[in-house]
Amino acid sequence: MASNAPFQFAGDSDSDDENFNPAPAEASDDEDAGVARNASRNDDRRASSPAADDDDDEDEVRPSKSASKRSRGADDEDDEGEEEEEEEDTGANKNGYDDDEEEEDEDDDDDDDVQHRHRRKRRKDHRAAFFDIEAEVEDEDEAEDEEKDGEEIEDFIDNAHPDDIAESGHLDDDRRHRQLDRIRELEDSMDAEKQAEILQLRYGKRAPARGYGEMAVVPKRLLLPSVDDPGIWAVRCKEGKERDVVFSIMRRIEERAGGKDEVPITAAFERGGPNSVMKGYIYVEARRQNDIMIALDGVLDVYPRSKMILVELKDMPDLLRVVKTPNLEPGAWVRLKKPAKHAGDLAQVVDVTENGLEARVRFIPRLDYGVRDDSITADGKRKRPGMPGPRPPQRLFSEIEARKRQPRYIQGNPQTNTWTYMGEDFENGFQVKDIKIQQLDVKDVNPTLEEVTKFASGSEDGTENLDLKALAASLKDSNTNVAYVPGDVIEVYEGEQRGVVGKAINVQGDIVTLRVSEGDLAGQTIEVPNKGLRKRFREGDHVKVIGGSRFRDEVGMIVKIVEDRVTLLTDQTHTEVTVFSKDLREASDIGGQGSLGQYSLLDLVQLDPTTVACIVKVDRESMVVLDQNGDTRQVMPSQIANKLPKRRTAVAADRNGSEIRLDDVVREYGGQQRQGKIIHIHRSYIFLHSNATTENAGVFVTRAGNVNTIAAKGGRVTNQNTGPDLTAMNPALKRNPAQNQMPPPKTFGRDRALGQTVSIRRGGYKGLMGIVKDTTDTSARVELHGKNKIINIPKNDLIFKDKITGKTIDIYSRGGRGGFGGPGRGGFSGDRMGGSRTPMGAAGGERTPAWGASKSTARTPAWGRAEASGSRTPAWGDGSRTVNPYDGNRTAYGDGNRTAYGGATSYGGGSRTPAWSSSAKTPAHDGFGHGSKTPAYGSGGSSDPWGSKTPAYGVSAPTPGATGGGSADSWGYTPGPIDAPTPGAGLSAPTPAALNAPTPGAYSAPTPAAVSAPTPGAWQGGWGADAATPAVGAPTPAASGGYYGAPTPAAYGGAPETPAASGEIRYADDD
Amino acid sequence: MFFLHNLERTVTLHPSYFGRNMHDLVTTKLVKDVEGTCAGDYYVIAVMDTFDVSEGRILPGNGMAEFTVHYRAVVWRPFKGEVIDAIAQTVNPHGFFAQAGPLRLFVSAHLMPDEIKYDASATPAQFTNNADMVIEQGTHVRIRIIGMRAEVGDMWAIGSINGDFLGCLQA
Repeated sequence: MASNAPFQFAGDSDSDDENFNPAPAEASDDEDAGVARNASRNDDRRASSPAADDDDDEDEVRPSKSASKRSRGADDEDDEGEEEEEEEDTGANKNGYDDDEEEEDEDDDDDDDVQHRHRRKRRKDHRAAFFDIEAEVEDEDEAEDEEKDGEEIEDFIDNAHPDDIAESGHLDDDRRHRQLDRIRELEDSMDAEKQAEILQLRYGKRAPARGYGEMAVVPKRLLLPSVDDPGIWAVRCKEGKERDVVFSIMRRIEERAGGKDEVPITAAFERGGPNSVMKGYIYVEARRQNDIMIALDGVLDVYPRSKMILVELKDMPDLLRVVKTPNLEPGAWVRLKKPAKHAGDLAQVVDVTENGLEARVRFIPRLDYGVRDDSITADGKRKRPGMPGPRPPQRLFSEIEARKRQPRYIQGNPQTNTWTYMGEDFENGFQVKDIKIQQLDVKDVNPTLEEVTKFASGSEDGTENLDLKALAASLKDSNTNVAYVPGDVIEVYEGEQRGVVGKAINVQGDIVTLRVSEGDLAGQTIEVPNKGLRKRFREGDHVKVIGGSRFRDEVGMIVKIVEDRVTLLTDQTHTEVTVFSKDLREASDIGGQGSLGQYSLLDLVQLDPTTVACIVKVDRESMVVLDQNGDTRQVMPSQIANKLPKRRTAVAADRNGSEIRLDDVVREYGGQQRQGKIIHIHRSYIFLHSNATTENAGVFVTRAGNVNTIAAKGGRVTNQNTGPDLTAMNPALKRNPAQNQMPPPKTFGRDRALGQTVSIRRGGYKGLMGIVKDTTDTSARVELHGKNKIINIPKNDLIFKDKITGKTIDIYSRGGRGGFGGPGRGGFSGDRMGGSRTPMGAAGGERTPAWGASKSTARTPAWGRAEASGSRTPAWGDGSRTVNPYDGNRTAYGDGNRTAYGGATSYGGGSRTPAWSSSAKTPAHDGFGHGSKTPAYGSGGSSDPWGSKTPAYGVSAPTPGATGGGSADSWGYTPGPIDAPTPGAGLSAPTPAALNAPTPGAYSAPTPAAVSAPTPGAWQGGWGADAATPAVGAPTPAASGGYYGAPTPAAYGGAPETPAASGEIRYADDD
Repeated sequence: MFFLHNLERTVTLHPSYFGRNMHDLVTTKLVKDVEGTCAGDYYVIAVMDTFDVSEGRILPGNGMAEFTVHYRAVVWRPFKGEVIDAIAQTVNPHGFFAQAGPLRLFVSAHLMPDEIKYDASATPAQFTNNADMVIEQGTHVRIRIIGMRAEVGDMWAIGSINGDFLGCLQA
């Protein structure tokens, strides 16, 4: 609305000036005070006053004036409240009745200048014949003087006032001068503040009197237009020029104000704007239509001669209704309309200027870096600027390209990555520009995923990329307002009900019905519009993020609330995020966002044939995985080959060769010494989870051989999969526990354990080291290193350590190379199930894995050993530790190594054989499952174990079950690492024997083991067994050894406990 | 808060255990099964006794016997608003994790008095007000639980040390 004269009434009978007259709103106190003061002087004045007629005059005029004022007060949008007006009226009346001669002492502060002026004017009217011209002039002067109230000049002019001149003959000049002096002295004596106060009183309300400030005070219904008010006409004008027209009208009013041809309208305004239905019109308020013609005559771009539309009375208020422009907030998406090159491009609001007219937006520039910038065309003519041509594609700003062609036009700061190029600003590759809001499409932006992704790609880390994608997805449906659902606890933060808290019981459209739960209104049901509402939470609430936030679907507990910003600690990652309370909802206790399709957090997945990874973060469309090399990457579900089911039975060996399984707590050896619970075992890699860190959801990956066991979960045997622990509670077992166990074979001479350094692996002294002082058959007295104490410990609970290196050793096998008999037995004797090791034991049909179902395998000797000492099974340990590898090879144990290889290869072979296939469930089979699954491997293994292997390996390696295969193939290729996944292997790795054995095998086509060269006995036995059992079909010596050879010691004679067999069994059990 | 709670549980027993002392075995198994577990919103600390062991029923199919056992157990249920003592486990810039028996708590930096600040330069990292309050790994702290969440087989809480007498316990 633009109007210079809102109170100007064309048809007013009063003079125009009067209409401009601001309502003298001064509080009547002042006036009264003034009156009182004046009254004190009234008497003598009266006596000498020459202005008796004036007084009369005033008496007549005042009431009429106040009456006119009163009538005006109703309709003329006066700023004063009615009460004030009344006050003023009475004040005015009082003045009149008091015969106040204010015109003679107007220096006084009791009256306001405006009234003076009126009085004078009225006087002028009366004496027009005498003073017309002069009066006009002087009036002007006086107006000035009044501005400089209290200055000498005012006084001077007052004296020169025509009235005074006219009456000067009657005046006692001297007395009045003195009086004036007194007053001025009085004024001077007042301090500046007081004066300022007075001035403020006098003039302070002037501006509001004219303006629109106190509108709110007047009840709206009193402001509604009536039939007495001027009408409003809509006048056609040029579209887009509405505002200009109004401005020119305003100028015209100013120009002509006070003149004869004053513009006879009272107001003019426009409601233009790009989206307004009222564009193309201006609205003019006037008494008569003809006034508008006069007023607009000659104004550009407006067409008063075309048909004017009279706005109906009831429609008038609507004209001035304020329509809220859509609110632009930083971060909002808009589309550009204006720079033609960018029309339709998506942009993001960075900032909105104070006045709300412009917004700073960032968008992806379309630059050609001057490639097509030959402004002079071939024929030498200057190209027309702004030639459309094909617009360059959207690409982020590249400093390098810009420098290439137009280095002069670019300047900026590489640190902050802000540049100015060709007069445009670029930040982080985006163009940043202030654009008028009219030139932005704010509504129905609907950014597509691709567009938003482009914006995101500018950020250096991939994570934001994802979040923005999410944002985009959410943007689509974010048009709807905050949705409240019944049950939400809601707080009213705006409006009359502010502060009320209640529970939503019904939501209909924009109206939310609340049952108030707190405060005076508690228990009442109120309805409130949803715009002043927000959800209310308390610290500690468990909430889920919904709606447009980029943290959508996170679930967590609230730790902090500031207004409507809520900080919560997410359940998944224990990180803190801050969102608006409107984006939250009370969560059920089940955390969401744990899964994407079939993949959920902490799952192990196969990315490609050689890579597995653990999911550490799940987003809506993608997830973050931590691969076996410790790198995190972001993948889509489609990039995942498959999910690896959790193998409860997976087993690995830690640094000490101890068996580790899922859920064991281990600690890294060296490095960061991170500690965690094993969540996955994959070949030689283990994925651990720790609560100590939130990075990667607490998941980290390391090698199995690089960790120490801290705590194994529960007893190994009471693993859920193995069924109830029958030994622990079975009364039958308890009654005579010794019966089932073979006594350890006798050794002769001095017990080797004497003087050994041992570590205790069970019981209250677990983990302590000591030296064996004395032994019996079953127990040992150990002097502890740590405490000055000698304790009795069952021998089975001791781990013998090398004094110097601290490595676990098997003292009984030390001297074992001499022959099969003694040492071999000795080695086994350390085991609880040592008996199994004897030929007879091994021969026990029920013990052989091949025969027994998985349960019975639990009792196989290997098992027993595993349970007892993990990977220290003598066969393995022995083989690996043999000082002289060759020697060791020849022993049954050393042979064990070899046969173990043989065994490994044999699996492949085994797969081919019907017997093996049928025994698909044998643990051994599982353990080396890959082998059996890759026929190529198998065939290679059998026919030419190594020659044809190379191609086959590529295939076998990727198979998930390749743990065993991994070992096997790595044995073929690289002697060292293979060993890692299998306890036995782990042990053998460092020993020369182990290394020796595989190396030649790997490269010299025939692995010794496979070929069986080194251990003729074993092989022969194996073959012999095969021969004896045609069902097995000769495929793999070791295999046959495992199944048939072992149990039938007779076949072997001296090589009863073919380590291969035991080794296999052991694996079988583990899996 | 600790409670003595009457509970009921079904225990299955392997046939090899059948015999005279079967009820003892049932009790043993029960103790083994439930002690130290989290049952939704409380932890079973200890089984006091079993006061009613039903007669066993052989489950068709596998021969196991099923007993319904009524027992009395000491349970611990942490409550929102409860003040408990805990030991700080890990300290990070956002706050610290503490352990109160089986319960893990997180105290966010927002939920500490203003003067307590994270000090990354200390070894180990700590929250401190540079006076009497030093919270590092191993510190005993008194915490008010402000939020609880039960997961399957576990519970999890956030706490606050913003309040009188909360925070670091003097040794």
